Amino acid sequence: MGFVESLRMALALILAGDRDVVSAITTSLDVAIWSIVFASLVGVPVGIAVALGNFPLKSVIRVMLNSLMAMPTVVIGLLVYGLLSRQGPLGSLGLLFTPKAIIIGQAILATPIIANYTLGAVQGADERILPTARTLGANYLQCIFQLGREVRFGIVAAIIAGFGRVISEVGVAMMLGGNIRLYTRTMTTAIALETSKGDFAFGLALGVILIVISLAVNVFLTVAQEGRHA
Amino acid sequence: MSIPKYQLSSIRVLYGDTLGVAVDKLTIVAGGLHVVVGSNGSGKSTLLGVLAFLNKPEHGEISFDGVPVEWESGKYSLLRKRVTLLHQNPYMFSGTVAANVAFGLVARNIGKKDTRSVVRESLERVGLPGFEPRNAKRLSGGETRRVALARALACNSEVLLLDEPLAHVDRTSATLLENLVATLASGGITIVMSSHDERWGARLGGKVIHLEDGKLDPAAGQSLYNEFSRCHGRDNANS
Repeated sequence: MGFVESLRMALALILAGDRDVVSAITTSLDVAIWSIVFASLVGVPVGIAVALGNFPLKSVIRVMLNSLMAMPTVVIGLLVYGLLSRQGPLGSLGLLFTPKAIIIGQAILATPIIANYTLGAVQGADERILPTARTLGANYLQCIFQLGREVRFGIVAAIIAGFGRVISEVGVAMMLGGNIRLYTRTMTTAIALETSKGDFAFGLALGVILIVISLAVNVFLTVAQEGRHA
Repeated sequence: MSIPKYQLSSIRVLYGDTLGVAVDKLTIVAGGLHVVVGSNGSGKSTLLGVLAFLNKPEHGEISFDGVPVEWESGKYSLLRKRVTLLHQNPYMFSGTVAANVAFGLVARNIGKKDTRSVVRESLERVGLPGFEPRNAKRLSGGETRRVALARALACNSEVLLLDEPLAHVDRTSATLLENLVATLASGGITIVMSSHDERWGARLGGKVIHLEDGKLDPAAGQSLYNEFSRCHGRDNANS
C-alpha cells in the first residue's frame, strides 16, 4: 500500500471515529493534561523559588534542572517502573500499567521543563516589579502573585513546552502503561505498535492527529506571545 | 517635643565592596518636606530605598516613629504600608491605569467602592482624569510618571518618598508636582524627595539633606539652609 493510499485510509479512520483511534486520542490527552497539571503545580513554584531565592545550593539545583530536562523518557519510565512494580516500594498501590502510572511518569518528565522555563521567565522579568509591589504595600505572597502575573506569558510558554514534551513521548507511556488496548494505549504507543505490525494507515491516522494537536499548541503559544506585546 | 519620623544612626549600605550610603546620624521630623540633594551616584536613591524599607542596611539602626526597626524579624515589611516610594523610573504593571492606581489599595484590602473613588480622585490630583481604562503600558513617559504618582498618592501613606520626581518632566508636570508636594507637606504628610538640583531643593522650601559620595555633607546642607532662611524667612527643621 502506497503512502497516498495509507493517508486516504487514515483520514477515513479519523472521519469514521474508529474506536481504537478515538481511545488512543482520549487516553493521550487525558494523561497528558493531568500530568501537566501536576507538573505545573510543582514546576512553576520551583522555578519561581529558584529564580528568586538566594541559597547555597542554587547553582547545583539549576544544573540538576538543566540535566533533568534532557533525561531520556525510558530512564524515567525505568525508575518509576522500579517504584511501582510488585517488588517496588509503591507496588502495593497497584498502579503499574494504569493511566495513573503514565501520569506519574509524565509529570516527572515535564516538571523540570516547566521549572526551567519558569525560572528563565522570572529571571528575565523587569527588576522593578518586586520593589514596586513592595513599596505599594504588597505582602510577600501578593508580590509573588504580581510577579507571576507580569510573567504569565512566560509561564504559559513553560506549560505548553511541557505539554509538547509529554504528548509526544513514547518511553514512559510504553513502560508504565503497558500499551493496553482501549485502556493505556496512547497515540504514540499505538503508532509504534501498529506500524511495527504493518498497519501503516492506522499509525498515519494517529500521526496526523498528533501533528494537528502539536500545531494547535503552537498556534496557542504564538497567539499568547502576540497578546503579550499587544 | 514630637517624635521624629525617622532616626538613622551609623547606617551603612554596601554594594559588594562599594559603599552605597554611610550616614552617621540623620533625623527626619514628621510632616513637611525634606529634599535630599546630591550629584548622580551620590547615594540619594539608596538612601530613599532605606527609608522605604526596601534596602536593608548592612550596619546601623533606624527608628520609625521612635520604634527601632527589626530587620531580622521581617516585621519591617509591615512598615511598607506606611511609607510609599515613587521610583525615578516607575514601572507600570500590565493592565489598566485604574488597576495600577488601585494596586496599593487592594494590598490594603480596601473595598471596591472606596477603591474606585480613591482611584478617580488620585488621577484627578495628578491632572489625568478619565485615564482609568487606558492601557498602562501604552502611556507616554510623562503620563507614566504621573500615573505612578497617583498610584503612590492613593496609598495615603504617612511618608511619601519621591526619587528625582522632576527629572525629565515638562514644565506643566513640574508645576503640578510642586503644587501637589506643597499641599501634601502642609497637610502633615512627611515628604522626602531627591534631586540633583540644589536650587530646586531650596526653592521648594524644604529641609535640605546634602549627600556626596554616600555621606552627609552638613556644611553644604547648612549653607543651603541659611540661604533659604535668608530668602524666605521660613522655619526649617534642623538635622
